[in-house]
Amino acid sequence: MLDIRGLTVRYSGLPVLKDINLTLEKGESLSIIGESGAGKTTLGLSVMGLVEGCCEGEILFQGKNLLSLKEEEIRRLRGREMAMVFQGVEGALHPLYTALDQVAEAIAVHSRKDAGSIRKKALGLLLSAGLDETTACFYPHQLSGGLKQRALIAMALANSPEILILDEPTASLDAGTKAEILALLNKLAGDRITIMITHDIHSAAYFSDRVAVLYGGRLIEQGPTGEVFKSPLHPYTRGLIRSCPDLSTTKDLQGIPGRMMPGVTGCSFHPRCTQRIHLCSLDIPEPVVTGGRLVACHRGGIVPLLEIKKLSKIFGKVKAVREVDLTLYQGETLALVGESGSGKTTLARTVMGLLKEDGGEFCLEGANISKRDAFFYQRVQMIFQNPMESISHRMNVLQAVREPLDINRPGDEEANNHLVRKALDEVELPGDQYFLNKYPHHLSGGEAQRVAIARALVLEPRVLIADEPTSALDASIQAKIIKLMLSLQEKRGLAILLITHDIALARKVSDRMAVMLKGSIVEEGPAGKLLGSPRHQYTRLLVNQSESPAKSMIL
Amino acid sequence: MINRGYCINYLLALMVILTLNFMLPRLMPGDPLQAIYGDEAMIAMTPELKEELISRYSLDLTQAGQFRAYIGSLLRGDLGYSYYYNVPVAAVLLGSFPWTALLVGLALCISTGLGLFLGIESGYRRGRTVDRLLLGGFMWISGLPDFFVGMLLLLIFGVTLGLVPLAGAVTPYTGQGWAPALIDGLRHLALPLASLVLARLTATYLLARNTMITTMGEPFIMTARSKGCSGPAVRYRHAGRNSLLPVVTAAGLQLSHLITGALFVEIVFSYPGMGALMYNALLTRDYPLLQGILLLSAVTVLTVNLLVDLLYKRIDPRVAYAH
Repeated sequence: MLDIRGLTVRYSGLPVLKDINLTLEKGESLSIIGESGAGKTTLGLSVMGLVEGCCEGEILFQGKNLLSLKEEEIRRLRGREMAMVFQGVEGALHPLYTALDQVAEAIAVHSRKDAGSIRKKALGLLLSAGLDETTACFYPHQLSGGLKQRALIAMALANSPEILILDEPTASLDAGTKAEILALLNKLAGDRITIMITHDIHSAAYFSDRVAVLYGGRLIEQGPTGEVFKSPLHPYTRGLIRSCPDLSTTKDLQGIPGRMMPGVTGCSFHPRCTQRIHLCSLDIPEPVVTGGRLVACHRGGIVPLLEIKKLSKIFGKVKAVREVDLTLYQGETLALVGESGSGKTTLARTVMGLLKEDGGEFCLEGANISKRDAFFYQRVQMIFQNPMESISHRMNVLQAVREPLDINRPGDEEANNHLVRKALDEVELPGDQYFLNKYPHHLSGGEAQRVAIARALVLEPRVLIADEPTSALDASIQAKIIKLMLSLQEKRGLAILLITHDIALARKVSDRMAVMLKGSIVEEGPAGKLLGSPRHQYTRLLVNQSESPAKSMIL
Repeated sequence: MINRGYCINYLLALMVILTLNFMLPRLMPGDPLQAIYGDEAMIAMTPELKEELISRYSLDLTQAGQFRAYIGSLLRGDLGYSYYYNVPVAAVLLGSFPWTALLVGLALCISTGLGLFLGIESGYRRGRTVDRLLLGGFMWISGLPDFFVGMLLLLIFGVTLGLVPLAGAVTPYTGQGWAPALIDGLRHLALPLASLVLARLTATYLLARNTMITTMGEPFIMTARSKGCSGPAVRYRHAGRNSLLPVVTAAGLQLSHLITGALFVEIVFSYPGMGALMYNALLTRDYPLLQGILLLSAVTVLTVNLLVDLLYKRIDPRVAYAH
């Protein structure tokens, strides 16, 4: 029953923690994640009453407000009712006393027992933490990092505290030791309140029941560990998860653009957020609770940009697309894979309005779309398989890229030309007069596809539908084009619906994958998981075929 | 605890000191006797005395034989003969050494202890009034040379206030009991000791304060506080214990400075120690005595360094581990 209410901590006037609200029940373990400088350690220190800055709000524990206690009163609680294991094993133990002495001191501070029985108890603690009788009497410089961490844990648990705060307990340890320490912590945590401060989401996932994400001194997301890591609500949480690969991660690492900055008005994440709106820079988002999860975002979390509901398309007697449901979220890549003739391209063209749908509906940013107007095309753009054919041979580069602008935003020609050059620059093409005057047949395949991408991006769309964007290109050009699309995604949060029959490519590019067979989606899920353990037999077939072309030919 | 390499180092240092002490008068131009006793003494020397001195110093032997004889006489405790005092050098040294040992030893202990205490308290309260007053005060005092501090103290407490005697180590011919004698000795000791301590205190204080400030930022201090240790426990058992290490090292190194300081202070207060003795020996060119003083000082510094080394091993487990 630790209840933190409206906690604000300032270091020399500068707020480090802002309006933190957290409630922890007995036996609950919470992980606080976030990048360095987010205020994680300060949160731990303020519960311990060790924070140097000035605190506002309340920390209620056992019916007392810890923040209003006198130093002597809180000192008596420290180490007895709440204990903390500090970050950085090096230096956290006193270099001039043995591990046993230091654990014994932790007991002696709060006990009137004789020295002998205290030492016996301390030895018992060290033994249960994984040291032996020899190493227990070692000085810190004689102990390995893992053993030091164990000694620190034994010290924190010396008086069986109600609250245990662990600040990066595994940060400097190798994978094996880390796993051992985490297992030890799990064993010893018992029915205490445990708060683990970490930037390592794998440790957090293993150790805790709940996760709280801290950014710029505010809690931006909170919820049960499994749910938060499976489907993060806040774009920052997703960025964190994307930055930490595990062995099933297949997509290339993507970071979060920019860096954390102090003194930001409105939502503290908005300068780095790719789905920000004007409101984000003005108002601080209120945390909203939905279904046991909490998120503080003006947009209610990661926005589902394009929702396709029960879409059908029939050509005569052939049902090319049968009641397909798909949702594309802001900033993610959804790969739509399947053999030719499975209805992928038909689906894409129907979404774009190039074909008329025979049933179902679309939502764009939550609004129902009945007709494809300028509003729609400014947000959704498409690139096609063959760039040479998709760019009119009567237009030079300037005209081709400017055409969407001329249609959707006619007027200031100079401004539009400027936007064209900016778009070309983004796809790493020159913006000089010579290049602008080239015609499609003057361009190489890679250049032409870049021009096509520039044309799609010139309106700054939120969604890009890419239908086999690289299948007409060389392997080396393909790599460049794909990297370009991913870097644009990282920079602006572009949502990409990638249509491809190349499973290996889709695996490297996509967050989620949907497998299409005869007009229906047969399987959908996170790319790594879907390919690692495919459930539908058609998916298994696709994976097998993709594993090695030679192998599939023999079979 | 002590291994062989360690002992060999100290033995080598001792051998070098002995050899230098043996060679220096023999390297001077001219007659060794002249070098040892000076021009004036040679004029007054009778042939019989010269004969006696030559055989006494084994000057009729080879260089190796002379060295053997020198070491042999040292082992017997024979440091030569002071012609000014007209007694063996060892006897003169024995009369003065205890006073200097008392003065320097006490000054070393007090300045180290007090400097450590003030440094720890001041560093713990960094930036607060107590710290700023102490720091400012010590910077001011450290600007004054030790003999000048001695003169100031003498003027204020001895001359103006008349609280303590002006010179000497004891009041002669009183024939009092041990308790009044002790008080008398302390009264004589107070001012020279105070001026030496004051002059040395700043270095120790600054060192302890600086180490304290660095140590207070160490993670293990946070660990100690999170255990629930009280203020004094954090200050002394955790941070102070760490500040002790450089202060002990510095105390060993400071000894030679203290001995030089004692030289001046003893002269100012006419304290009958080695400093005053050396001053007299210089004035009267009593070379055997000077040689004896040099040897004794060198051996004392060596011994204290050895003690500091042993002490350091006890207070820092990492050093023992490194050997």
